[in-house]
Amino acid sequence: MSVHSGGGEAVRSGPGRVLVAVYGVFALAATSRAAVQIATRFAEAPLAYVLSAFAGVVYIVLTVALARGARRVAVAACLVELAGVLVVGTLSLADPAAFPRATVWSGFGSGYLFVPLVLPVIGILWLLRGVRRA
Amino acid sequence: MNGAYSGWLIGAALVLALVSLITTVRNRPMGPVLLAGLGLLELAVLAQAGFALAGLGNVAEKATFIGYLAGTVVIPPAAIWWGRAERTRWGPAVIVVAAFSVAVMTGRLLQLWSAGA
Repeated sequence: MSVHSGGGEAVRSGPGRVLVAVYGVFALAATSRAAVQIATRFAEAPLAYVLSAFAGVVYIVLTVALARGARRVAVAACLVELAGVLVVGTLSLADPAAFPRATVWSGFGSGYLFVPLVLPVIGILWLLRGVRRA
Repeated sequence: MNGAYSGWLIGAALVLALVSLITTVRNRPMGPVLLAGLGLLELAVLAQAGFALAGLGNVAEKATFIGYLAGTVVIPPAAIWWGRAERTRWGPAVIVVAAFSVAVMTGRLLQLWSAGA
């Protein structure tokens, strides 16, 4: 991890801890769910399950980056997450046949109270706010 | 796994989340009430895990079921650790997330349980 300059503590303390906690839960949930799906019934919906696994990896990266105060990695991962939820959300509504099984990002995260859609926006706002203050 | 017991557990976890939220809004760090609440929640999810594993034969989605069980057991101690480390309002804010997650995961456990029975 290269970015520990100055603002690291500002990123991971205070409200940052809540972000780490939420991302931690999502990392755990998405990764283990994808692992089970790929291990037991990959053939049913390969694309959806690979996307679920990818989402899980993004959440793991974000949890670690936020917990270590690696701001640049965290912002990049938030952008990937936001792009993922927007693209997959749109595709899952436009072409439901391509997604016979739900991913975390289907329907813009509607199966998870839209948390996957809101979280990266909050994450980016929090990370950038820290930049200005530091 | 016992539906009524797990129903009470979900309710208790939501109450704990509410108390933590009030603590966050009042700008207080984690106090003895939240600490005791998390301790009791941990005992409750351990008991639930015991019941659930005893009847594991009824569940179709075993891997997912065990994953959620492990999640509920791991989360309260993590929240205690966090509440002690962050001595501001944001400690209880983490506990809100933790307690709510336990409630949601217990709900998913109940779904998996009744689907397999």
